[in-house]
Amino acid sequence: MKDETLLAKWLNNELEGAELEAFMASPDYATYNKIKEYSAQLTVPEADMDALYKRINTNKNKPKVRKLNPWLPRIAAMLVMALGATYFFYTNNTTTQLAVAGERTSFLLPDNSEVTLNAASEADYKTWNWKNNRKLQLDGEAYFKVAKGQTFDVVTAMGKVTVVGTQFNVKARGSRFDVTCFEGKVRVTSNNTTTLLTPGKSIAFEDGKLIMMPTEENNKPGWLTYEVKFHAEKFANIISELERQYNVDIQLNTQQPDKAFTGAIPMNNINDALEIIKTTYQLKSQKTGNKIILSVE
Amino acid sequence: MKNNPPTGICEEITFSTFFKSHAKSLRNYLYYKFGNEEQAQDVAQEAFIKLWENCASVPPEKAKSFLYTVANNTTLNQIAHQKVVLEYNRKSPGNNTDSQSPEFLMEEEQFKTKLQKAIDKLTEAQRTAFLLHRIDGKKYHEIAEILGISVKAVEKRLHGALLELRKEIDNLR
Repeated sequence: MKDETLLAKWLNNELEGAELEAFMASPDYATYNKIKEYSAQLTVPEADMDALYKRINTNKNKPKVRKLNPWLPRIAAMLVMALGATYFFYTNNTTTQLAVAGERTSFLLPDNSEVTLNAASEADYKTWNWKNNRKLQLDGEAYFKVAKGQTFDVVTAMGKVTVVGTQFNVKARGSRFDVTCFEGKVRVTSNNTTTLLTPGKSIAFEDGKLIMMPTEENNKPGWLTYEVKFHAEKFANIISELERQYNVDIQLNTQQPDKAFTGAIPMNNINDALEIIKTTYQLKSQKTGNKIILSVE
Repeated sequence: MKNNPPTGICEEITFSTFFKSHAKSLRNYLYYKFGNEEQAQDVAQEAFIKLWENCASVPPEKAKSFLYTVANNTTLNQIAHQKVVLEYNRKSPGNNTDSQSPEFLMEEEQFKTKLQKAIDKLTEAQRTAFLLHRIDGKKYHEIAEILGISVKAVEKRLHGALLELRKEIDNLR
């Protein structure tokens, strides 16, 4: 007989024979018996079961308020976060087009506007919502053939060029900022002044100072056909352009000439190009590999 | 909407019969557990509504165990356990009080009070098992089913309950 259930057996009238007799002989038996006797007389406060049934009946036919699966809000939260991250990534995803020194890159924007990047230039833009936000960041020089549509912004460190649908060239190199309009109208904002360019008109700034530019006769910028025209361009700028176009390193072993350069320089024949520079500034050149040294004659 | 006639617990008459045979036990059990009539009613109501909502998937023979499982799993914002108020049946059969001596009657009253106090001091597990047996006359196997434990465990609890009650009453002497 297991001691730990003995009282339960007795309470349930299962105890008999010697075990029962032994238990009845124990000193605590009288109390146990009284507990058994009096606990049988216990009652619990009555509850109105009919009322309870009625309440259940009215409640059970109500449309259920569904409890959410505890995972649902978590899954939903994760989805929202994933979507948010995707959205953030997608809307902030910037496309970068690059033309390294000595090379050019042509590409199409989402609205089929054409951009040709001159050597050593970079353009950044966001494809998301391009139609309503035609904006492009330019560092260097590029020629644009913009499809008709919303305004088209070219943002550079020195100013902003705003157009609707047109062809134009933007150059933002160092401290030089040139914009030439070839078709349509181009609005240039730089140094808090806004200039409207019509076809053939150009505007240029050097260190923020306005430079008067002659009327462009061609319908495309010269650099597209490797014949670059300069107008009152600093010597240093010419050298930089040559370095970019021919991907060479040019060293000047003499004082920088003050005279600005006006004229055309071919960008597909380095010898011809150097010849023009040498003649204009009375210099001689020495070429070793990628390095060109210019010195006084 | 499907127009299939409801079967099993979903049938109004089955549900109502089931309620009549089990609601009181459930409510009493919950009362022993919580010591609060209102909570006992609320949880019982909740359990029956859950049963109704799931009537299509709960076969009638499983309904009772479903009911108690739901009730046991319902954790309320537990108000601290209150005193289980129990009363003695005024007209206890076979106890002809008239023929007893006044001393005996007084002793009897004292004992009854002590027993009530002692029951209140039992653990929840011991108290529910003990009262289900003494008040509702549940068989051990029924108590086991209600509490979701084995018959053996019920016996241990009742043994422990009796032991505690006796000690407590002796202490109150």
